[in-house]
Amino acid sequence: MTFVVTENCIRCKYTDCVEVCPVDCFYEGENMLVINPDECIDCGVCEPECPAEAILPDTDPEAQKWLDLNAKYAALWPVITEKIDALPDAEDWNGVEGKLEQLSEKAA
Amino acid sequence: MNVMTRPDELEACAPAGTFVETVTRVTHFTDRLFHFHTTRPSGFRFRSGEFVMIGLMIEGKPVFRAYSIASPSWAEDLEFFSIKVPDGPLTSHLQKIQPGDAILMRKKPTGTLVNDALVAGKRLYMFSTGTGIAPFASVIRDPDTYEKFDELILTHSCREIAELKYGQDLVASIRTDEMLNELFDTSKLKLYNSVTRENYPFKGRITGLIESGKLFDDLGVTPLDPATDRAMICGSADMLKDTKALLEAAGLTEGANSRPAEFVIERAFAG
Repeated sequence: MTFVVTENCIRCKYTDCVEVCPVDCFYEGENMLVINPDECIDCGVCEPECPAEAILPDTDPEAQKWLDLNAKYAALWPVITEKIDALPDAEDWNGVEGKLEQLSEKAA
Repeated sequence: MNVMTRPDELEACAPAGTFVETVTRVTHFTDRLFHFHTTRPSGFRFRSGEFVMIGLMIEGKPVFRAYSIASPSWAEDLEFFSIKVPDGPLTSHLQKIQPGDAILMRKKPTGTLVNDALVAGKRLYMFSTGTGIAPFASVIRDPDTYEKFDELILTHSCREIAELKYGQDLVASIRTDEMLNELFDTSKLKLYNSVTRENYPFKGRITGLIESGKLFDDLGVTPLDPATDRAMICGSADMLKDTKALLEAAGLTEGANSRPAEFVIERAFAG
């Protein structure tokens, strides 16, 4: 059991989730965060904190397709342990559909 | 199995980012429940209602689980409340700890069952089942809670009557504690118990008692109202889901640290 970060984090990256994670399992790419499924303890504190509502439990049918992406980038990107400013145009991108093609594979 | 509990040995091999704390007191309530105190690291700050990862070094590996801190943020020591699972990776060993033993604690407390995640209101409900009472043991000893709310209603539902003892003793001790009575009006606090598997004057799941209105009748209060009532929920996965649905049906919305609202849930201990 784990939580996963989904599409609406892309180009927003609010990082409220990072502030509350008790095990520091968020990893930071250039324009998205992911959760390391092997480190997440499934406590769920991050889920209601996300202003973009981008975090889901893996029991949610919507979450399944994001699980591999989270695992993949958690292995490539650096860990993030403290809240930072959201991306400058986060508000404009929050809720925009079809953001997956905007995902940057670059590490933060 | 080799469980390392000697403070000096544990200090020598504790993983980075963890404290080594000494157990000072252990109380067993039933064959499924116990409570213990540990020393508090200097500089370790938390908000009443938060949880932290605690663990043991078992066969040379750290095993951690999330535990609510049952003591208030101002207390000199830390209190925890735990179930005993016969083959649980952590609790099967943790239940054997004795005063003088050491445990591991990660340095980052967190959680949603905090005053900060609720908007102001008149009445605070704290709905708990089993060990879900732990964060509220902290919240009901925090002066901020009494400043923010006119009435605090802690509900604690368990399978057996013996499991209610911790909460009943705690509330009784708060009401008679001289220091706490100087800090806040302890008469604002009410405890409501129900039992699901034994005969008891108040019988049944808390969700059934909310739904039927019996809870409010028994307490002599008006039904849930988003204008005045706030709630924190901590219990089993089913209890969280069902209680959340009842609160939402009554018009309350879920909050979080980043956007306080009318009720909050702790999922960390579900399952």
